[in-house]
Amino acid sequence: MAKKKNKALISRRDALKIIGATGVTAVASQLLMSGPLSAEAIQGIARETGASGEHEWHMGIDLDKCIGCRYCLRACQAVNDVPDDEMRWNIGFPERTEGGTDFFMTRPCLHCQEAPCVKVCPVGATWVREDGIVAMDYDRCIGCRYCEVACPYDVRRFNWKQPEPPEVKKNPYQPMWGEAEVERRPRGVVEKCTFCVHRIDRGLEFGLTPGVDPQATPACVVICPVNARVFGDANDPESPISKFLEEHETFRLREDFGTEPKVHYVRPAKEEA
Amino acid sequence: MAVIKAPLSRPKSPPLALWLATLMAMIVVGGVGMYQTLANGLQVTNLSDRVPWGLWITHDLSAIGLGAGAFTLSAVIYLFRIKRFEPVARIAVFVGFLGYTSAMLALAMDIGRPDRFWHPLVFWNVHSVLWEITWCVVLYSTVLVIEVLPILFESKYFARWPKLANLSHKLHKLTPVMAVLGMALSLLHQSSLGATYGVLSGRAIWFKPSMPVMFILSAVAGGVSLTLLVTMILSKLQGKELIDKWLRRDMARLAAFALLAYLYLKIWDWAATNYYSHAPGVTNALERLQATTPYTRSFWGLEVILCGFIPAIILLNRPFRRRHGILMTGLALIVFGVIINRWNVTLSGLVVPPHWSPGVLGNAVAASYVPSWTEVAVSTGVLGYALLAFTLGARYLPLFPKKAEDGGD
Repeated sequence: MAKKKNKALISRRDALKIIGATGVTAVASQLLMSGPLSAEAIQGIARETGASGEHEWHMGIDLDKCIGCRYCLRACQAVNDVPDDEMRWNIGFPERTEGGTDFFMTRPCLHCQEAPCVKVCPVGATWVREDGIVAMDYDRCIGCRYCEVACPYDVRRFNWKQPEPPEVKKNPYQPMWGEAEVERRPRGVVEKCTFCVHRIDRGLEFGLTPGVDPQATPACVVICPVNARVFGDANDPESPISKFLEEHETFRLREDFGTEPKVHYVRPAKEEA
Repeated sequence: MAVIKAPLSRPKSPPLALWLATLMAMIVVGGVGMYQTLANGLQVTNLSDRVPWGLWITHDLSAIGLGAGAFTLSAVIYLFRIKRFEPVARIAVFVGFLGYTSAMLALAMDIGRPDRFWHPLVFWNVHSVLWEITWCVVLYSTVLVIEVLPILFESKYFARWPKLANLSHKLHKLTPVMAVLGMALSLLHQSSLGATYGVLSGRAIWFKPSMPVMFILSAVAGGVSLTLLVTMILSKLQGKELIDKWLRRDMARLAAFALLAYLYLKIWDWAATNYYSHAPGVTNALERLQATTPYTRSFWGLEVILCGFIPAIILLNRPFRRRHGILMTGLALIVFGVIINRWNVTLSGLVVPPHWSPGVLGNAVAASYVPSWTEVAVSTGVLGYALLAFTLGARYLPLFPKKAEDGGD
């Protein structure tokens, strides 16, 4: 009796083996051809963003020129629709140098070329585009917040609660400082300064020059009343940022981290030796 | 000696009823917390953009770390063929299974988009340690299920389906393969959990290559300790020794050696990065940690002395080890030490964020964090789940081999 049972089982086992092998092959080939094992998916993170390596966007912030008016913070909040001050992408606060000179420190996302946040994201929801911008995919983010932990510059913001629709929660900075140009982000994902990438991509389509034409330039740069913020393509020697870098002695925040930021600062006031 | 057939005690025993009621209460509290979290988002926590990880991450890391007894003992038994450890194979695997499922429960609450939990499996970023951890944990949990199923199918409740017993027998034959797989996967992700912190170049306190090694060593010590501790607790409750005296001794020594290796590395790590060297970022961060937080004191007082040297002495000293109460205290201290360590590591790196402003005023303040009641509630619920599953398992599943061959059916 036991033998009979075994025989029946063996044939069933064979059948299962065949089905299993077919299934595994199908799944494996699917994974290799177009799924997560395909060459495209593993490199990752190359997305159809329209960005090319032709440009490399950098920003300059002249702390010596800055008057601390906070216009850049407000324009950012209006254009990127960040109604909540605690969620600011572009932050600013009064500061003092070691020599005792007061100045106003502002900081957008630094769009590091070797961005720690990009390296750690388990799903590739954030990546360095061909043009150097560190982009976010809100539809892919799982909200684990490892990028927030990894970023040494406190750049990233998590949506702790469901954003209310604009008609319920008015953005206090609209329309005075600009109109919303992007949607509010859903609950549970991380967001951050984008260098107003929507302006750059759209501007290029229309033949504009980011950094020169205001419609194609980040809102914080456009609104600055004293031109303390400069933007442009570092690959173009005629761009405002290339000239800025040539004319000023600049530094980047905590270069010792090896993050290669794309935001360059000019020191506030020459300190008397 | 007469063989006591009833697994734990009689169903109507008041202490058990009281215990089950407590566990149910914990689960209800957890359910309320989970509902709050899912309905309102993570604003119900006290986490912030400065301290984005807290109690739940500690819970995950501790549960996975303390589940390491499963892979350690499986490897010892089936890979190194030290067969005398076999009596604890099942309890170790069962505890590991509960640890990993607890971690996944807590993690599901902790991520902002639980509906996208599957994303790391489909969208790959091979440069992320967290991606590797996700894959390893998913695969290893599968291994644990395969290892746990035979225990379930061999229980008397499945006796009416002989096919399941047959399947269980086949799965059991896979055990050596599973042990190899389990060890490989565990060596990867148990270490990577430390690397999660160790690879972040912007965080001076964390950024060191010893992180992954310390995590796996402490996990081995904690996992083996927890396995032995629950075995001894069950022995007490059932009024009989579930494992032999010499096996208890061998497990205690295994845990103690892992603990010593961990302590050795921990002390050298401190000496190399603090005492014998001066890296400005590290020194600055540690000075702020000492000045503004309790984490320096808890490192030395709790991690190193109370949960390190003291249990090491207890476990290695024969007179101490032979006293059940003292041995169990030592084991509990090691388990507690793993939890404290995961909390300290997470929080100490976060509460003293790096200085990035070129001035002297900005971001000098240390962030702080105390879990909200919702966070505590969810953690309580997850713990309640693990304890309930363990209680039921201990009562109804054949977690230990029948000791006396002659006393059997």
